[in-house]
Amino acid sequence: MRKIWAIVRREFVERVRTRWFWVGALLGPMLFGVVFFLSGQLGRGGGLKRIAVVDATATQVGARIAEQLGRSGNWATEVPAAPGAIDSLTAQVRAKRLDGFLIVTDAALDSGKVEYRGANVFAGKGALQRPVGEALTVVRLQRAGVDPRLVARASIPLRLETCKISRATTCGESAAQSFSLAYFMGIILYTAILLYGINVMSSVLEEKTTRIVEVLVSSLRPFQLLLGKVIGVGAVSIFQFLIWGVAGRLLLARRAPLAAGEAADELFQMPHVTGATFAVFMAYFLGGFFLYSAMFAAVGAMSSTEQEARQAQQPVAWMLVLSFISMFAMLNDPGSTLAVTLSLIPFSSPVAMPVRWAAGNLPASELALSLAILVAGIVAVTWIAARIYRVGILMTGKRPNLKELVRWVRSA
Amino acid sequence: MTSPAPAASPILVLDRVRKAFAGHTAVDDLSLAVPAGVIYGLLGPNGAGKTTTIRMIMDIIQPDAGSVRLFGAPAGGRSNAERIGYLPEERGLYRKMRVLDVLVFLGEMKGMERRRARQRAGEWLERLGLAQWRMRRIDELSKGMQQKVQFISTILHEPALVVLDEAFAGLDPVNAQVMKDTVLELRARGATILFSTHIMEQAEKLCEHVCIIARGRKLVDGPLGDIKRTRGGHHLVVGFDGSVGAAARVFADASLVQKVDDYGQYAEVELAPGADPQRVLRDLVASGARLARFELREPSLLKIFIDLVGPEAAQAGVRPDA
Repeated sequence: MRKIWAIVRREFVERVRTRWFWVGALLGPMLFGVVFFLSGQLGRGGGLKRIAVVDATATQVGARIAEQLGRSGNWATEVPAAPGAIDSLTAQVRAKRLDGFLIVTDAALDSGKVEYRGANVFAGKGALQRPVGEALTVVRLQRAGVDPRLVARASIPLRLETCKISRATTCGESAAQSFSLAYFMGIILYTAILLYGINVMSSVLEEKTTRIVEVLVSSLRPFQLLLGKVIGVGAVSIFQFLIWGVAGRLLLARRAPLAAGEAADELFQMPHVTGATFAVFMAYFLGGFFLYSAMFAAVGAMSSTEQEARQAQQPVAWMLVLSFISMFAMLNDPGSTLAVTLSLIPFSSPVAMPVRWAAGNLPASELALSLAILVAGIVAVTWIAARIYRVGILMTGKRPNLKELVRWVRSA
Repeated sequence: MTSPAPAASPILVLDRVRKAFAGHTAVDDLSLAVPAGVIYGLLGPNGAGKTTTIRMIMDIIQPDAGSVRLFGAPAGGRSNAERIGYLPEERGLYRKMRVLDVLVFLGEMKGMERRRARQRAGEWLERLGLAQWRMRRIDELSKGMQQKVQFISTILHEPALVVLDEAFAGLDPVNAQVMKDTVLELRARGATILFSTHIMEQAEKLCEHVCIIARGRKLVDGPLGDIKRTRGGHHLVVGFDGSVGAAARVFADASLVQKVDDYGQYAEVELAPGADPQRVLRDLVASGARLARFELREPSLLKIFIDLVGPEAAQAGVRPDA
């Protein structure tokens, strides 16, 4: 037992001491911060602020639109005196004194055609589509003789509030919250399992190529060595999560000044992570990590060089990549046959199940079944992988083919 | 160095041990006994099965048949890890780890407590001139220094049995000297040393007991002195001082000489059974040869080895089982 503990400590201490660990620990939260910041910027229409409205209508429709836009508070608008001002406005946009301008003609009322010219037309289109459309509607209604008060009441904008019904609570979290939670959980699970699984692989390979493994295996059983290694690397990943968790909390607590807008608030609300969600996440992370690191360890043991290992690990990595890709389909419909199947297969369930859990209401029986299959999968895969490991770490020369692998598993 | 009585209970016994790999038998019914407190040489050409034998002793691979007994009990190296130091043939250490950390970790693998491992590692590093490197990473060390570190890791826990596979291979002369001195010191403290080599000159200088194997089979084993007496016959070394006279005629006398290695000014002569060396001396002087040296002696281990193994195999580089 003490020897396994020594293996665990070596794997942990040596990894946490590396520069890469701390780069990852700090880079993760920084990336989150950047995402918050950018989403805040996009939510505000990419910083579109100063626009002009060229009123080429006989009926002052352009001026009314400018008035409506100005009322919403997000815009500084002006209506230049003459329609011939287009050239000077274009010059102002080039000089960056103006973000862009709208050209409203008589066609606006009948066909809805309004032209926008600006430095960033993509942001302009996204930001102006709705407010200009609403302003046009108001003008049309008023021209049709509808009571202005009625128009005002009819054009109260929609505030759709969403509410997720889950087993324990109603209205636990919003759609944005549960989507971002599922999304982040999927990304983190995929990245962490892949990253730390490959860590186990290179650790196995290092001991094999330096032949330290001979000294180790003459002191403790190959399986104990493998176990210590997997636990040690797993502990590093949990430590990494801990750092991310603390940093993420701090970031979210200060998201308002970072994103500087309500839009960010709507997109990335603090997901309500319940104890159960956390438990599901950790259970599937640990399960997935054990399953995949056993496979990665076997790959490391059957290879003799880094290049060989990089090639041989591809089939293993692809299984994980596939379950990650299908996450997007599962987010759309967490109850689909595909989603249910993927969350039962042990090779994809570590990513699929937590995503489904976070995205939608999930029967407890399905969760239990998935976990049971995962545990059975870990036992079976580890049994095979440990045998390949035991033979492989002492082998040199060319990589074994499938037939030889089967013989290794049988002989060990 | 006196050989202990054969009755002393052996520290390591192999009983008809066999190991076959796909297609060939690496070790074939090998039996040997290593008495406690000796330096024991496991000798053989490359590919003879030395490393496979050592790996079976160390529990790294399991024999197909036969048994290994260590310290009087039927068990392999793993359950005796605390009492065995093992230096594999191919060397390596964790490249990114600090010297002291590697030593403490490998000490822990041998059942040492961290504090004691740290203290002993410090002492050994001091002794071998590496004290100022203790906090440096392994890959900052020269190859010679890495060899020293690995050697320290082998003996850090004061093992009763030290197993060195091709211990001197690849060592620079200074480190080879350090290693030799340390091996002798360990033995003086009562440790048993099993070391494998294909370099007979080394074995001859260090070993009290040897076992010579080739193609997985034992050819001879026992105390080196006994082997030389029984295997060697009588050997003469003759050195000439300018004039060789009619020495060639004397060497050609089949009643006196069985075999001769004539180098011109120097010759190694194997006497015929029952021949009297004094007659050779008289005949040589009578033939007009001027002698600088006339020495009756035991054959070298290298000669016994070549006689047993055959000249091709003795220097063969073929290694079917790396």
